[in-house]
Amino acid sequence: MAPAHVVLTSGFSRRYTNGIKEFDIDASNVRGVLKAMDQMYPGLGEILEEETAIAIDGELHEVVYTQVIRPGCEIFFIPRIEGG
Amino acid sequence: MLTKTMNPEKALKVVGTSPVRPDGVPKVTGLAVYGADTSLPGMLWGKILRSPHAHARIKSINTAKALTLPGVKAIVTGADLPDHKFEYVGPERVAVNYWHLTRNILAREKVLYEGHALAAVAATTPAIAQQALDLIEVDYEILPHVIDVDEAMQPGAPLLFEDMITRGVEPAPAKPSNVSKRLEFSVGNLDAGFAQADEIVEMSFKTAAVHQGYIEPHSCVARYGADGQCELWSASQGHFVVRAYTSKLLGMDVGSLLVHPAEIGGGFGGKTVVYVEPIAVALSKKSGHPVKVMMSREDVLKATGPTSGSSMTVKIGVTKDGKIVAADSTFKFQAGAFPGSPVMNACMCAYACYDIPNSRAVGFDVVSNRPKAAAYRAPGSPISAFGVESVLDVLAKKIGMDPLELRLKNAVKAGSPTAWGPKHAHDGMRETIEALMKHPAYKTPLGKNQGRGVACGYWFNGGGESAATVHINEDGSVVIATGSMDVGGSRASMALMAAETLGIPYEKVRSTVADTASIGYNHVTGGSRVTYATGIAVVDACNKVIDDMRARAAMTWDVNIDDVIWEDGHAKIADKSVGDHTPLSLAAIAAKRAVTGGPIGAEAAVNAGGMAPGFGAHFYDVEVDVETGHTKILRAVAAQDVGRAIHHDYCEGQIQGGVVQGIGWALNEEYIYDKDGRLSNAGFLDYRIPVASDLPHLDVIMVEVPNPNHPYGAKGVGEVNIVPPMAAIANAIERATGTRMTSLPMSPPKVLAAIDSK
Repeated sequence: MAPAHVVLTSGFSRRYTNGIKEFDIDASNVRGVLKAMDQMYPGLGEILEEETAIAIDGELHEVVYTQVIRPGCEIFFIPRIEGG
Repeated sequence: MLTKTMNPEKALKVVGTSPVRPDGVPKVTGLAVYGADTSLPGMLWGKILRSPHAHARIKSINTAKALTLPGVKAIVTGADLPDHKFEYVGPERVAVNYWHLTRNILAREKVLYEGHALAAVAATTPAIAQQALDLIEVDYEILPHVIDVDEAMQPGAPLLFEDMITRGVEPAPAKPSNVSKRLEFSVGNLDAGFAQADEIVEMSFKTAAVHQGYIEPHSCVARYGADGQCELWSASQGHFVVRAYTSKLLGMDVGSLLVHPAEIGGGFGGKTVVYVEPIAVALSKKSGHPVKVMMSREDVLKATGPTSGSSMTVKIGVTKDGKIVAADSTFKFQAGAFPGSPVMNACMCAYACYDIPNSRAVGFDVVSNRPKAAAYRAPGSPISAFGVESVLDVLAKKIGMDPLELRLKNAVKAGSPTAWGPKHAHDGMRETIEALMKHPAYKTPLGKNQGRGVACGYWFNGGGESAATVHINEDGSVVIATGSMDVGGSRASMALMAAETLGIPYEKVRSTVADTASIGYNHVTGGSRVTYATGIAVVDACNKVIDDMRARAAMTWDVNIDDVIWEDGHAKIADKSVGDHTPLSLAAIAAKRAVTGGPIGAEAAVNAGGMAPGFGAHFYDVEVDVETGHTKILRAVAAQDVGRAIHHDYCEGQIQGGVVQGIGWALNEEYIYDKDGRLSNAGFLDYRIPVASDLPHLDVIMVEVPNPNHPYGAKGVGEVNIVPPMAAIANAIERATGTRMTSLPMSPPKVLAAIDSK
């Protein structure tokens, strides 16, 4: 199974991952991605949960554990948007 | 009205029609209950003391005299509210700092803008409450103030917070400033991109802060019981969020506060936050009586959130054949007195209509002595669009290309990159521009002093948390409830989706908004999220009910549920080999509900993802009176990708509403401060929003590129329509007069001065 390619914004990577922006992670759902990120950078999983939305192959989603991750997909954690 | 719906192949029976809204008759007959309409036995009247100064230290507040006034039952100041830890909580764009928020509700150490609340009185009559305010003695140390965003960023500017260190800058600045945050989004290589350009244009712009202009001022009634249970009647864009903010600010359990949703007289983003609610609850708790608090129009304009004013620089490069190769912009946003402008959205939306390989957007969130900014329709996006779409117009002229052709050539589609990282997942921009180009008036010749301007816009649209219930009554009528405040006709759109799913007439569905104790959490009605997210919840709940009714039909027929289908409002046998049974209507199944298991109903809750953005493309024809500088809008045509119009007329109305607000932002609306930092135009006579006589016929083209992630294809329709108007009208004025306006509003004196200075 091809791993998912995970990308953080420059701001997040600067603050939480020593500037590393891209990761390849084996996971079948968002919970698995968060868990893997948290294992690499303790505390990051919760921060991503609270502060971000997620784009899976460009499709925007709220961060929800059960959201399915397709093999080889591209995942961006981006700032969560609120409108008017 | 010319309304053109693309992709007219609709297999749907109810979705896409335009029935009368459930709240229509109560609203036109005056029976609808708004925030100010609730009254309770023993109710007191709350009034709020507001700062006359733009910036001052509060040395003392003495309420002793006011408390002795007969009829005064309670007075609260900031000291009566629990203080909060200084920390930013939640998503970056809307991170809440309760240390700030409680100080915006009632000032503590300083007042930071004229109109800043600092004490409140509850009394037996409004007149006594007002009289008591006059007896409260406040000793101020007046401080220098700053209003303008560029001036607030200067070294030596008066500081609102003496310890504010800019976030997002490394290493962190050694000195405090009014700059709360810096952020940046970039892709590609800017130098290499601009090196490919044949034409590069760099311009600076300013936009005025503008208010959402809702007709109904903020108001609420609170009743705090001796048992610690509290009820609140409030007009807002989200009673669950009112509950969350108010309980947190006052240190209450969420469950001990029940919020009833009143009808709302407009919000446009401005009623996603709280102002009077915590004060009313605090006064009720202290006095032991219910308390009503109502803002005046002056209060609304002086103390509630407008959207940010801004200062920005935009630089874009194109090749001779119209390919945008690089863009670099800086956006400085007024946050008001506390951090939290929509500058992040502005950066993310700035280039989102276009496939630009090299781009950077830098944003600054800057505090100044003005009311704290709040959300306003597509927050941030219209502001950056004013700069970007103006520069594109200049570039189109320089390379001799039709301005819509330039935009179409660069329009994003599914797979195009964004400036913030991921690829676009949805089409719609190209289809929207093409629809606008085909409008018969786009090529119509114009006369002297007349011009045509175009612009495009982007908004994300929202998803998120929603809940809905569906109950089948014994006669086959249906009640649906959601927790989403109905701001723009969502009760009707929810009823349409329920009727379509269940296969029954719209008139059989009663659609309601439930209070916070009667349904699961629903996030605010904002971000163009309700038709999408709450709609999914409604359809999910309907599908659960359908499964239940299939099971009851199967029980009646002694067949397996898999042998029963739901079609046109009836349970039917899928394959007659298992038996020949007359279809059972929803009403027939409902009539047997008791013997088949009891009430038929379901709740569904979602945290909806897969939302698709809104794209807009507009053109405006204007005529400029070169003697007065007055700009008359001759024609407005707005094309927008709505995904699927669930309620046709209300989608059209949303688009027209955004256009009208955009015209006001473009031509007239602004906050005018005097030298002491006091607002000079705190009323609708002087703060000039458009009225019907200012407006032409508003043409709407609804483009339907359905979102496959929604059961009926909806994308959200409420916001992107306000993004293009300011730039498009500026572009039209330039074509009419040869004068490029770079500052909003483009009011007659400013246009005349620009013409005269040529």
